[in-house]
Amino acid sequence: MSWRTGHIHTAIVTMRVNRWRSILTMFGIIVGVASVIIIIGISQGVKANITNQVNVYSKNVITVTSKAASLSSFGVSSVPAVSTLTNQDVKSIGKIKGVKYTVPMVILSGITSGDKNYKDGVVIATNAYLPKVLNQSLAFGSFFSATDTNQFSAVLGYNAAQGLFNEQIPLGFSLNWRGEQFIVDGVLNNFKVTPFSNNTIYNHAIFISTKAADQMKLDSNNSIFQILVRVNNAKQLTTVDKEISNVLQQNHGGQDNFSVLMPSQVAKNNTGILNLLAELTIGIAIISLFVGGVGIMNVMLVSVTERMHEIGIRKAIGASNRQIMSQFIIEATSVSVAGGIIGIILALIVDGLLNLSTSLTPTINWQIIVISAVVSMLIGIVFGSVPAIRAAGKEPIEALRNE
Amino acid sequence: MALIKLEDVSKLYGFGDATTLALDEVSLSIDKGEFVAVMGPSGCGKSTLLNVMGLLDKPTHGTYKLNNRLVDRLSQNRAAKLRRDTIGFIFQSYNLLPRLTVLENVALPLAYKGVGVTKRLKTASSMLERVGMQNREYFYPYQLSGGQIQCAAIARALVNEPSIIIADEPTGNLDSMGSRLVMELLSEIHKMGNTVIFVTHNPELTRYATRVVYMHDGMVIQDEKTSLGEVAKTAKKRLYTIPKKSVEDDLAGVSLLMKLPKKEEGIDASSKKRRKRRGRS
Repeated sequence: MSWRTGHIHTAIVTMRVNRWRSILTMFGIIVGVASVIIIIGISQGVKANITNQVNVYSKNVITVTSKAASLSSFGVSSVPAVSTLTNQDVKSIGKIKGVKYTVPMVILSGITSGDKNYKDGVVIATNAYLPKVLNQSLAFGSFFSATDTNQFSAVLGYNAAQGLFNEQIPLGFSLNWRGEQFIVDGVLNNFKVTPFSNNTIYNHAIFISTKAADQMKLDSNNSIFQILVRVNNAKQLTTVDKEISNVLQQNHGGQDNFSVLMPSQVAKNNTGILNLLAELTIGIAIISLFVGGVGIMNVMLVSVTERMHEIGIRKAIGASNRQIMSQFIIEATSVSVAGGIIGIILALIVDGLLNLSTSLTPTINWQIIVISAVVSMLIGIVFGSVPAIRAAGKEPIEALRNE
Repeated sequence: MALIKLEDVSKLYGFGDATTLALDEVSLSIDKGEFVAVMGPSGCGKSTLLNVMGLLDKPTHGTYKLNNRLVDRLSQNRAAKLRRDTIGFIFQSYNLLPRLTVLENVALPLAYKGVGVTKRLKTASSMLERVGMQNREYFYPYQLSGGQIQCAAIARALVNEPSIIIADEPTGNLDSMGSRLVMELLSEIHKMGNTVIFVTHNPELTRYATRVVYMHDGMVIQDEKTSLGEVAKTAKKRLYTIPKKSVEDDLAGVSLLMKLPKKEEGIDASSKKRRKRRGRS
């Protein structure tokens, strides 16, 4: 047993004596382990957030997008100039059995100005059911209703309200857009933001009614980037999903130029790039771990040569080949495990800092941490065994002659 | 029955033209309880002989029986085990591990035997007490004098209670006080029934031995039993019969040095003969 022969003690003493050498040797392992834990933590955190958001904001909501738009869904820039979805589609979907609300999302361009010009914003023409479909409440005021007499009312996303007005509560204030005046009816609560999700747009949006857009004679027909469809209950999701596909196929003359996405698919689409990123980083981390392992082997080979006389003494007083071998394997493993532990601690610190200072909420995955620890241990054993075998195989008298 | 029995043991180093004959058909038998001093000029094969007897090195030819068991062709692991259990080593350069305390150094052979931490530290401590080092247990080797380090090394050699103690010039790096301390300790170990074999250049130290073996060019040239407390006769002769230098010698200078090897021609010639004989066979 290694603890009985004092190998662990020797390993710790050796590390302490050669402090800098040990730290530099550990570097590859530290970087490898830390990057794996951080990246997996971030990607899982973001995924969890997106799924969570889908559950909160898009529960029982089927998203219909134009095919071109669904290729990438990272915000306004990807919205095509001409959408394949039409007002006719919105009406047809509304008639399907099991559909509770149908909400068209029409993106319109133009700079809005209240107290200040707001360039980051986007104007979305929609109908009164949006808060119900997105499960979102208002911070102040109310959302425009289907029976509203004043068509030119607007509801602001949380960031848009701050970007347009100096007032905390800009209810009743007016904003200009394309030469028309809109009165602010309400401000939506902040949508929890995660990267790669549509909620970023919602916080910066100025929502107006489609009726107002029609009245301004804007061609909203070709700018519907999404139709959000809320079904009565989760059981109907699949049947409604199929029915929407059928109806739209008919409307579009059999052309497959739209996508109908279930809530789970929305999350999947949004996390695709994250998975790719995570896989890439893990690949790089594996290379780093391998290079770290080779570094350990190199240093251990040097250490064996340097300590040949010590090996001779140990053999002279009765150490067997196996005992010498296990001593050096334990030394290599101690270095790699220490590197792994430092990497894990570093990753936890970075995760904590990211959590505090950014909108990212990395998850701490204990399985990954345990796997990292085991992998770093295996690296020590595998890369430490070659130097250890060399040390053990030396004839005692030859080893003793090395001063 | 002999404890150590070497028969025609030879040890060759190198190969081809660069072959060196370190041991030349040495036959030696040492009984249990003997205190053997091995003497001879540098490079005569004393250390090689001790290394072979201590199972650190394997003979090229010949047989070696330890406790009537053939041990000259043992595997590294078996040799290690036998070394651990029956032989204690004391080196000229002490060879304590510098990063371990004196106590840890002394306890190391027990660790390789598989003795638990507490027990081995306790045994090591009592062993250090026996060599008068109990108040230096937690010192590192570099904090001690040569004599003290060698005492710790003796404690390490004794900790496994081996029957044979092999000491390669244990007093080589020590002053007269340190030498005396170490030799008194070895003498005590001998009195307890252990077999002690040591190499020395100092004829005075043969007072402690019961037998003196003289070597030259890898061969045992004389084997003399002595009584304890007396300098061996041959050693005395060598010590006291060095011819006094005359005025002529002083004047001769370098040419005198050139003459010296001729005096030992007889021995050289005989070893050459032996080598030739082996070459033919």
